[in-house]
Amino acid sequence: MASILTVLFNGVAYGFLLFVMSVGLSVTLGMMNFVNLAQASFSMLGGYILVTAMQGYGLPFLLCLPIVFVLVGVVSVVVERLIFRHFYKTDDLTQVLLTIGLVFMSIAMATYVWGGTYQRFDMPSWIIGQKEIFGLTLETYRIFLVGFGAVMAVALIFGLERTQLGAMVRACVDNRRVAGACGLNTELIFAFTFAIGGGLAGLGGALSANLLGLDPNFPLRYLVYILIVVSVGGMGTITGTLIAALALGIADVLGKYYFPQFGSFIIYLLTVAFMLWRPHGLLGRGA
Amino acid sequence: MKTALSILAAAALATVSTQPTLAQETVKIGVLQSYSGITSLGGQQTDFAIKLFMQKFGETPGGFKLQLIRRDTTGPNPEVAKRLVGEVVTREKVQLLIGPDFTPNTLAAAPILSEAKVPSFVTGAATTGIVGEKSPYSTRTFFATPQLCKPLAPFAVKQGWTNIFVVVADFAPGHECEKFFMEALKEANGTLVGNLRTPLSNPEYSGYIQRIRDAKPDGVFIFMPIGELSIGIVRALNDSGLKASGLKIMGTGDITDEGYIDAVGEAAVGVITSGIYSTQHDSALNKEFVKSYTALAGEKNRIGWTAVSAWDAMRLTYDALEAQKGQKFDGEKFAAFLRGHKIESPRGPITIDKSNGDIVQNVYIRRAERVNGVLQNVEIETFKDVSFK
Repeated sequence: MASILTVLFNGVAYGFLLFVMSVGLSVTLGMMNFVNLAQASFSMLGGYILVTAMQGYGLPFLLCLPIVFVLVGVVSVVVERLIFRHFYKTDDLTQVLLTIGLVFMSIAMATYVWGGTYQRFDMPSWIIGQKEIFGLTLETYRIFLVGFGAVMAVALIFGLERTQLGAMVRACVDNRRVAGACGLNTELIFAFTFAIGGGLAGLGGALSANLLGLDPNFPLRYLVYILIVVSVGGMGTITGTLIAALALGIADVLGKYYFPQFGSFIIYLLTVAFMLWRPHGLLGRGA
Repeated sequence: MKTALSILAAAALATVSTQPTLAQETVKIGVLQSYSGITSLGGQQTDFAIKLFMQKFGETPGGFKLQLIRRDTTGPNPEVAKRLVGEVVTREKVQLLIGPDFTPNTLAAAPILSEAKVPSFVTGAATTGIVGEKSPYSTRTFFATPQLCKPLAPFAVKQGWTNIFVVVADFAPGHECEKFFMEALKEANGTLVGNLRTPLSNPEYSGYIQRIRDAKPDGVFIFMPIGELSIGIVRALNDSGLKASGLKIMGTGDITDEGYIDAVGEAAVGVITSGIYSTQHDSALNKEFVKSYTALAGEKNRIGWTAVSAWDAMRLTYDALEAQKGQKFDGEKFAAFLRGHKIESPRGPITIDKSNGDIVQNVYIRRAERVNGVLQNVEIETFKDVSFK
């Protein structure tokens, strides 16, 4: 019994990890209809900023997280202003080619700046080790991940789906000309949304790098998982992304425990099943 | 006028080349390693080792002038390797080859090298049987899978860790290593309490870790390719508290490779591995090697087994070229000379097998520890002259 509950908890923690990694893309892809694969590069940048701030400048881990969010957010706005905004009206394939090119460029840049090897993470002592909760031995970092992910999910759902700001963003996406005619500064709203999406991606990278390892190949390795979560969840819905991430995370860990010979195959099988059942994603609005 | 001059020049050249004492024949050496992407550390180490060797022992062994031709295999990429080998053999006319790295690349290169009779050094592929019959001119300076996968089984049983769980990455080298370890474990009267084959793209280990916990083993044996998988599983075993509860973590040297051990961090401390080379190896030659390599490459670029394999390939090349002093370079003689040749390497003594060019060497059981604050593999036991079979 204890092992089942531990496995289940690890699955939930993995689910939240997938959520924090992919919610940034969900925001830009879903809300702005922009296929930004370079979101995975923003994640990597977040990881590297965390390493640099923690190991290089000796800043505490919890302080590093907002720094990562802001810095990656700023970088993503700069990239948006310089490059992406010229491609909002192009078709999906152009956007994919553009942003996958940026991913390859970011890999080369990261190798140049930080070197080709894996980074060392010296996490603070309070977050490593295990804690006894209800008789279960759980990893402290995973407990932190679950808590952080849950707070982030609630904040985002209320912030972007239930507020006036969220409504403004969606209005801009649905019909930019009408939204502009109603007095909305569409350029500013797009840049702002992009910053949030980028910052979230950075945060996801920073939180996952300790568990998944960080090297310049990070974006390519995890892009597939990010895309799976976003497409299963449905474009533009944070609740959908959360449900998809949790479902896939739990299924993956449980699958590896009960049917280890199928390995990580289960996550793909489930994805195909979900996509056949709901082609627009679990909570997708449809085309 | 011009033709007359060139005839004169040709005549002059001809007279020079008939005088063997004055002639300096150039030997072209192809260096086929991975210089890009996640596998680029191998190429980097190879280059440092070759450069260092040539600085120390000169650039004209046996009166031959060496010319290096580098190519990037980009990783385990047989199509690329085959094209590059074809190119350096037919166009650049290389007479020796260091590389290519990785088993699929080595296999792809073998037919070309055999036909062209170009001797090569296998410095980065461990699969059994890739030197010998299929490539009669190859010499291995790396290691063969059984050398690393067998010795840990008797070692573990001797320590009283008899119940062993085996975890390997689900690809051909993983299956091979699993087979060798399980055989050796049976021979040593150890008990296999469970085994897992984990996928190659696998960021999340907790489901597997729980399976290991349920089986209650004394020790776990791991084979993973160097990189995020080897780092990930050692860290996951540590984070789950299994290591703290007394589980012995063992594996091939890949899981504590010097190039990646800092990324494993504290989780690496106490991990037992079988390896062919540690910078901590206690010999005068190794101390000198580590000192001069570090002076050349810097503290940050740590020395792994690829560097030593390249260094030994150079040592063998120089010995074989000295033996051909004053003669024209002959690839077949070169390869034949190396068979049965014995040298002192920074890793310890190594012998090239007489019958097929594979390597016989000491295998060391090491424990990862902090030495002066730096994570190192400290040798605790030696298996002498371990066969490649």
